Amino acid sequence: MANSGKPAKTGREKSEFLWGWLFILPTVIGLVILNIIPIFQTIYQSFFKTGDFGKGNIFVGFENYSKVFGDSEVWQSLINTLKYAVVEVPFSIAIALVLAVLLNRKMRGRSVYRTIIFLPMVAAPAAVAMVWRWLFNSDFGLINNVFHLNVKWISDPKIAVYAVAVIGIWSILGYNMVLFLSGLQEIPGDYYEAASIDGATGIKSFFHITIPLLSPTIFFVLVTRVIGALQVFDLMYMVMDKSNPALDKTQSLVYLFYKYAFINKNMGYGATIVVLLLIITMIVTVFQMIGQKKWVFYN
Amino acid sequence: MKLKKLAALGLAGAMVLSTAACGGGDSGSSDGDSGSSGGSGGGELSVSIWDTNQEPGINEILADFTEETGIKTKLTVVKWDEYWTMLEAGAQGGSLPDVFWMHSNESERYMSNDMLLDLTDKIAESDLIDPANYPEDVWGLYTHEDKYYAVPKDVDTIALWYNKTMFDEAELEYPTADWTWDDMFEAAKKLTKDDGSQYGLAIRNDNNQAGYYNMIHDNGGAIISEDKTKSEWDSPETIEAMEQLEEFIKAGVMPSIETMSENGEDVLFQSGKVAMVPQGSWMVAAYRDNEYTAENCDVVELPKSAATGRRSSVYNGLGWAASANGENTENAWKLIEYLGSEKAQQKQAELGVTMSAYEGTSDAWAKSADFNLQAYLNMMDDMVIRPYSKSTVTWENEDNEILKDVYTGDKSMADACKEMAEQMNEKLAEE
Repeated sequence: MANSGKPAKTGREKSEFLWGWLFILPTVIGLVILNIIPIFQTIYQSFFKTGDFGKGNIFVGFENYSKVFGDSEVWQSLINTLKYAVVEVPFSIAIALVLAVLLNRKMRGRSVYRTIIFLPMVAAPAAVAMVWRWLFNSDFGLINNVFHLNVKWISDPKIAVYAVAVIGIWSILGYNMVLFLSGLQEIPGDYYEAASIDGATGIKSFFHITIPLLSPTIFFVLVTRVIGALQVFDLMYMVMDKSNPALDKTQSLVYLFYKYAFINKNMGYGATIVVLLLIITMIVTVFQMIGQKKWVFYN
Repeated sequence: MKLKKLAALGLAGAMVLSTAACGGGDSGSSDGDSGSSGGSGGGELSVSIWDTNQEPGINEILADFTEETGIKTKLTVVKWDEYWTMLEAGAQGGSLPDVFWMHSNESERYMSNDMLLDLTDKIAESDLIDPANYPEDVWGLYTHEDKYYAVPKDVDTIALWYNKTMFDEAELEYPTADWTWDDMFEAAKKLTKDDGSQYGLAIRNDNNQAGYYNMIHDNGGAIISEDKTKSEWDSPETIEAMEQLEEFIKAGVMPSIETMSENGEDVLFQSGKVAMVPQGSWMVAAYRDNEYTAENCDVVELPKSAATGRRSSVYNGLGWAASANGENTENAWKLIEYLGSEKAQQKQAELGVTMSAYEGTSDAWAKSADFNLQAYLNMMDDMVIRPYSKSTVTWENEDNEILKDVYTGDKSMADACKEMAEQMNEKLAEE
């Protein structure tokens, strides 16, 4: 091993190389077949006026794109999606962070609380949506009846998208919290001790120790949640009936994609909408990557 | 050591599987998901339908079939919206169920793309199926270039459901077969309470077949021209009929569109919030099995138009179809033949699943529940087939979108009708 320069591999290195690849192979195959290839197929499809059952596709160049850019429904859906993301992401991160810090202390029934907060994550999204649909129901719903309100939570175009975002926050809290908890456990206790000796209060050490040291985790959660929020579909689909007057002002881009691709059977137009979403997601993520240099600290 | 490696491999495999479960969310591609539609093997026939209300009855008939032939079947019920998504994916990926329901909204697309098994020769040879025994219009829905692609399962008509208790309370006479739409409106006004606890009527923006389509045809209007090339939404008769619906909306005899969308007309009727609702005969089983409606409600013929005196019902019929590329087409045909036979059709009527398509079975159906089901049979005297073309779903959904604005008061009905005609003509031109 002393004579460097040549990458002559020892038996051990070879075996590590082989096994390493072997271990990631299943995941790689899965990614390629289920994600990478479909992405390119989708882009390819967006240049076609698709025929029934994938037969008889006609190449139309950028026609779908020029239609998408002129379609007010698409832009409205983009606005809806952004509204959803702007509410869901910050709140779900902030609340989860506070909960994680509170539940990271030694206290009675800690694991019970953790389990309860994580539970929505385990429940099927369809079931979650059904329960919330009932809670939000303007005539028979629990919320309106308990508080004697008459708010059309999910059918008033002005507030429906935020009501849906509340469901999103509620169901993702536990997941974010668990990620933050694991991040918090990486922070050595000495820092807090030193800080308290210097007279720092809990709040101060939260902002000056916890947040900076947790920033890689926060960044990871932020990036994945933004992407997740831009792809929101199941909540709108399950909670909103097709005859809902607020649907226009609530439907997300993926919902619109579903409508065109699977209900109206216009795969080409649907594909164009998701390509638009893909581009937007990439732009947002690139900006976040650039922005992280300003606030994320890696040890 | 070996064991550890094996375990790790196993874990990695499991990870792939879980990726498979979450992946594909935004892939608009053609990966036909065989898991849900299940092209079956081992001789068991997969059967798919969308109506849970009919599930018990259909299961019973399928059990009879298995007993008679020894061929096993597996029934899957998938909700209407997802049903067509599943069928589309199955058709594209070559894994359609062996036997499934077909609807006039979609049949044309499936037939013209050779997705359905051609049954023409089989019907010609069959002793059990004679096309003369089923309504001609229903065959028409499942015929393409003079070839049959499905055997009629049922027919459905529309009638008016009303809550007897509410009529008693308001001291009103029950609706009769002589009612006009205006009579219904007058009664609806009296049945509506100011505090919003009770409304006279419910016809939602997407209740076309059971709702406003009937009013339109009564008034001499139509939705689509006879040759299916032009929309009739902008014809004066159609607009006039729809303006009557606009009157219902404006008079506040119906719950708001928000309430109707969040709860559904049938739910509002079943929970005693609405006094009258026009509904198709496919709802009978649900109202029979619901304690409240069974006790308080009954059904009567639809009102007629005061101007023309016509009382028509939009009607439709489902068909049993088979996959063209299935592995068990022989057995699938046997099942379809059985389901279309007089015996199974009679049983379907007796069980009250739906009215059967086979002629002469309707009396058995009329006795299947303790309502005035004769009303539905009487509606058969003047029937108009549900408007359809190759892209029915596309223009119908768009119609429903546009009508929402009339319900919320943002648009006048006349404008909406013109808009609907415009978009429908556009889509018809593309067919």
